[in-house]
Amino acid sequence: MTTLWDTTGTAVVQALAAERRSGGAVTSGLALTLVVVLEEKDTADVEAAVATAAAKHPMRVIMVLRHHIDAPVPRLDAEVSIGGRHGPGEAVVLRMFGRLALHAESVTLPLLAPDAPVVAWWYSETPKVIANDPLGVFADRRISNVIRDSDPAASLRQRAIDYAPGDTDLTWTVITPWRAALAAAFDTASSPAISVVVTGNPQDPSAQLLAGWLTSRLGFAVPVEKAEGKYIVAVSVEFEDGRTVQMTNEGYKLLMRRPGQLDTIQPFPQRTTGDMLAEELRRLDADQPYGEALGAVTGMTGLNDRPAVRTHIWHDPALAQQEA
Amino acid sequence: MSLTEDQSPAISTGDGPLVPPALRANPLRDARDRRLPRVPEPCALVVFGVTGDLARKKLLPAIYDLANRGLLPADFVLLGFARRDWEDEDFESLAKKAAKEHARTNWNEEVWARLADDIKFVPGSFDDDEAFDTLSSTLDELRNSHGIKGNAAFYLSIPPSMFPVVLKQMERTKMADNTASGGWRRVVVEKPFGHDLASAKELNALVDDVFTAEDVFRIDHYLGKETVQNLMALRFANQLFEPVWNSNYVDSVQITMAEDVGIGGRAGFYDVTGAARDVLQNHLLQLLALTAMEEPVEFTAEAIRTEKLKVLRAIRLPADPGAYAIRGQYQQGWLAGERVPAYRDEKDVPADSKTESYAAVRLGIDTRRWAGVPFYLRTGKRLPRRVTEIAVLFKKAPHLPFSHTDTEELGHNQLVIRVQPDEGVTLKFGSKVPGSMMEVRDVAMDFLYGEAFTESSPEAYERLILDVMLGDATLFPRNEEVESSWRVIDPLEEFWAGQEPEPYRAGEWGPKAADDMLARDGRSWRRP
Repeated sequence: MTTLWDTTGTAVVQALAAERRSGGAVTSGLALTLVVVLEEKDTADVEAAVATAAAKHPMRVIMVLRHHIDAPVPRLDAEVSIGGRHGPGEAVVLRMFGRLALHAESVTLPLLAPDAPVVAWWYSETPKVIANDPLGVFADRRISNVIRDSDPAASLRQRAIDYAPGDTDLTWTVITPWRAALAAAFDTASSPAISVVVTGNPQDPSAQLLAGWLTSRLGFAVPVEKAEGKYIVAVSVEFEDGRTVQMTNEGYKLLMRRPGQLDTIQPFPQRTTGDMLAEELRRLDADQPYGEALGAVTGMTGLNDRPAVRTHIWHDPALAQQEA
Repeated sequence: MSLTEDQSPAISTGDGPLVPPALRANPLRDARDRRLPRVPEPCALVVFGVTGDLARKKLLPAIYDLANRGLLPADFVLLGFARRDWEDEDFESLAKKAAKEHARTNWNEEVWARLADDIKFVPGSFDDDEAFDTLSSTLDELRNSHGIKGNAAFYLSIPPSMFPVVLKQMERTKMADNTASGGWRRVVVEKPFGHDLASAKELNALVDDVFTAEDVFRIDHYLGKETVQNLMALRFANQLFEPVWNSNYVDSVQITMAEDVGIGGRAGFYDVTGAARDVLQNHLLQLLALTAMEEPVEFTAEAIRTEKLKVLRAIRLPADPGAYAIRGQYQQGWLAGERVPAYRDEKDVPADSKTESYAAVRLGIDTRRWAGVPFYLRTGKRLPRRVTEIAVLFKKAPHLPFSHTDTEELGHNQLVIRVQPDEGVTLKFGSKVPGSMMEVRDVAMDFLYGEAFTESSPEAYERLILDVMLGDATLFPRNEEVESSWRVIDPLEEFWAGQEPEPYRAGEWGPKAADDMLARDGRSWRRP
């Protein structure tokens, strides 16, 4: 591992090349560059997640921490490691101080793996308008995490307003096991569904997205009914031939109840952020079903028809503060 | 899970008119939604011979791994059948022990607890009519209690000599009948698929008669390996390799499957089988077919099989088998720092055994693409290391502008697909040695699966069992392929019959005669 204090982007690029040389040819097959935007307090969580995901996807990780935009002198501190605590791949941690934080792309651009897709992940706070963050503009895939915002439901709505194909949110990744179980239950159905109800917290973005996905796929409105619980509690389906399926989340287990049949229990494993990040990195193109589900949640149409490429819009938080 | 043209049903965003999606297709399945795993329909997996080695080491752990990855259907039953005086619980505890010991994924008690409820056992011997009646009625009961819908896959983890009696029982009880069961009934058989063409035909006729041919899955676990599937991706997803994948550019192909172990405790089986029937007939010829086949018109079981069959039927045996079909038998020697006994000194092997533990053969493929390109196949036991690989050796450049001394160290360009271990692909080509002289030397460019994708690849059995339940036959050889392979092996066996195999020392890369075989063609074996 190389640590550089008060350094420049060029020195970081050289340090990475030196690490690669001394580490042997361990980086024969980089599939992507992951740019993570995080805050100092989240470092441990992000490192754990990145290490898990890096075990499944050969990648270069660039972690960007922006500090004190109002610091008088811009400064860059960097840490370069290969095969360390950030997993088997290459990792660069960049701490940016002062006005440099607004020009983070000037440091990250030369560090991107040649001709490999770029994924941007905002661990805590996704910019309201992604086009304001240059790190999001040059990324082919953008991952947000609205559950960590102060008002997740409003943030999910904002994600729809700001949506471009290639965006996804981890609250969508969370419900993949639900969606898989529901799709499997529908495999055995002999008649179409006539009514579906999601119970849980109507303000939870995952519950909203699950209902939105069902709405977009089934062609009728699926409501979220309030029940005790933070997240999704149950989904009940009624089919035209009178059969019903009730699926209940029993804490790491999914209980499926169908009248006239024995109840079945499926494992509903608790997935770490790293597992979910790894699922996100499996596909580096647009996730249209997410776009459709998000559209159904917010009542917006044509989300997937928007252009996938954003143009940078200059935004200076210092100026914005002054104006406010 | 078939792809439907109707990918996105009308989206309702309020009170507008609702258009119902197509009735047949599952509206929640979407070809663009690649996050959702392929999960089989509700079904039972019936295992015959649950106490065997294979069931304990591979099959039961693979079922746990599938459950742990959430790939088993919600309505699933694992039904064991064996000649043991057991209750469901006894089988469950055996299965748990086996799964815990050999599973690839982390142990999760919750997952097992769920699976444990779905594990059933029927005791009985294969000639016991009553036991099979019980098995049949158990399946009917499970249809209601466990919702398995009459779908069942029967895994015959038993010696082929038992097949006739078990299959007759299934026929009698109509357990193999798709229409009678109202679902699908599939059968999984393990190699050996016969010991020559006649016996293979007999076996195929028997199995295909009781089940329909599409419902018979023959497991060749090599085909479940990621690298073998990657061979198709490498060839047919890239533009780079296909143009040179023919006799204009390829000098020769070497396919190797080497093992460092001896025959272990399998003398009874091995001494009547030998390396050619054990490995050459199935694994090596399948690898050859995948390497040499034309592009299938689509990536489906039927299309791939058609192309593989064409290759297998176009195989030309050496005109002079004495020079180009070599058998060997290992002598006493040293391997990995240990003294190992000769084949004939292994337990239960007759002292005058003429069975081969090594086989190498030169085959040709009579197609426009491959005419004149020799395919050298070799397999053996007690070779220096365990390795399976396909090496495509390209012709040397027709003209080199460098002087002869500059390129002395330049060999054939090679593309090597390593099937195991260190799964990956290596490209070998010439490169300048740094310095003021023009010197060209071979260097290797390496793609390592384990490095690029460090997530452990699913075990071959996991993938194959899942495919059986999904009804995806892409990775399973069909009866015609098995029979075509025997058509290649039978004449060789006939030629070899009664001959003394060439000796080689344990820990060597095979007998000298095999080296001479390539030397005669002006080539040499690649050291894997």
